[in-house]
Amino acid sequence: VGERFVTCREQNPSMTAATIAPSDDLVVALRGAGSLRPSVDRGLAGGLRAWLDDGIFELAGVPSPGQLRVATRDVVGAPAPGARAGLLRGALVAQVLRLHVAGCTPEDPFAAASAALLASGRDDDLAGLLVELDQDERARLATEVASHAAVLFDQLPAIPARWSPRVGVSHRVPLAGGGVALCGRVDLTLGAPGGATACVCLLDVTTSPLDARHLVGLTYLALLSTLRAGEPPLRVAALSTADGAALVRDVDATMLTGAVAGVLRTIAAMVAR
Amino acid sequence: VSTVRRLQVPTPSDLVDLLTAPGSESPVELGRLVDAIAARLAKTHPTRPRRIDAFVAEFGAARFTTAFHWSARAARRPLGTAALRRVAAGTSRDLLRAAHEEMETLCDRAQRGLARRGALGTWLAAAPTEVRALCAAEAATWAWGLCHLVDLHAHADRVAVGVPDAWFDVPRARTTLHGRRDATGTGVAASGVLRLRDGAPGARALDGLLVDALVAAMAGRVPMTPARVVGAWPDAGIVLCVELDDVALRHAARLVVTCGSSLTTTATPSVEPVLAA
Repeated sequence: VGERFVTCREQNPSMTAATIAPSDDLVVALRGAGSLRPSVDRGLAGGLRAWLDDGIFELAGVPSPGQLRVATRDVVGAPAPGARAGLLRGALVAQVLRLHVAGCTPEDPFAAASAALLASGRDDDLAGLLVELDQDERARLATEVASHAAVLFDQLPAIPARWSPRVGVSHRVPLAGGGVALCGRVDLTLGAPGGATACVCLLDVTTSPLDARHLVGLTYLALLSTLRAGEPPLRVAALSTADGAALVRDVDATMLTGAVAGVLRTIAAMVAR
Repeated sequence: VSTVRRLQVPTPSDLVDLLTAPGSESPVELGRLVDAIAARLAKTHPTRPRRIDAFVAEFGAARFTTAFHWSARAARRPLGTAALRRVAAGTSRDLLRAAHEEMETLCDRAQRGLARRGALGTWLAAAPTEVRALCAAEAATWAWGLCHLVDLHAHADRVAVGVPDAWFDVPRARTTLHGRRDATGTGVAASGVLRLRDGAPGARALDGLLVDALVAAMAGRVPMTPARVVGAWPDAGIVLCVELDDVALRHAARLVVTCGSSLTTTATPSVEPVLAA
């Protein structure tokens, strides 16, 4: 990334981690200068996949189709989903992000996000919860969403269409003959794969303050993207709409092998249960 | 099915070569196959019109238990296809803008009373601005998935994107076949068909691909069998390629007849299996 970012060595000593100073542009930090991008290592994905397949065989033998489903939450060790209001808030902020990427910056983010969630065709249970909110809960949630949206609009500038922004991209990578599925969702993806240099960037937007788990989540998403597209992304980033803090990391082989180890630990825990 | 290949993340050039390479076998006698399908479907004595597509073949009629309604998820493929068509034709600069422009066209048509009640344009015209913005973002995201498989500009002369789906009314059987296709090879007599799908391929994913390919073959002005059908699951990074030989087409024909029988015997609501597109 650039020298203007502070390296958080205490969080991950062996890799480059960078936090964004308040004055810096997150999208510019993510994309960086085109001339500095590394060439794509297309042999890496096959090796990672083989490593995972071998590890799964050692841990679980030959799992039956659909036996194990690994989600981001499992890998980062997040506690079980708590209050559904928190999930609803996250879903609404995700809708605000989609609207923002589409060039729509609403004056009333809660109303806009609610309309978008109800018309999205996804998260039917959360849409049902939204409809059932009483007046006080709705007002409280509206205030929260408005403050998160304000931070989002402030930290994330308009995205040029030439960076091919994709929102809410699902990843579902089958391994071990379909016995294990690695699942995740990237809030915003920039850049097109297939070129000579790496240029795909992943952004995860969270409504909670950033902590060590978000780093693990980012490495997992980088691994999924590598397995899915056959080439590693350039950078991954997390943006907290709670306080505007952001984290940008270059993706390299060390990060991806760390993610493989994390996935195998998760599968071992699942098998042991 | 005789020949299936799994391709691990092919480059756009590899995929375009697949879509444009000629088949290894002479195509099956389609006219006889169509007659056989029509005769078998007519024997099931449908009491009302029915529609058969890849999703019925893969998941059965019972999958669609609720009435269809438009949503951003359901709208992304038709809007994304139209956006691709606009960008390929050079009338729009980028996919997001193209999706917005397509929606404006649809809304304008609906407001002038030129769209039916359940049409996408009618729903969009009544939807608030933010819902339309969400639809544009989803459509552009979907279309980018196809663009990353097939380079629009580098392969414009070899592959057609934004192609309309294939429809075929089976004579005397009150049955319409719907074959989805997201790109086709051009320039050779028997080109390939590409389908872009969500998630990861299921146990009967090949059946769905074959039904799409069979309907594409039947629906041509001059019935002609594509050389192969390619299914891409970008979420999973998987591409499957099925050669359309006699064995594959006869299997697809049997699937269509089986679906017709199951739709006749299963009580289903009036739904359109578009939601999972």
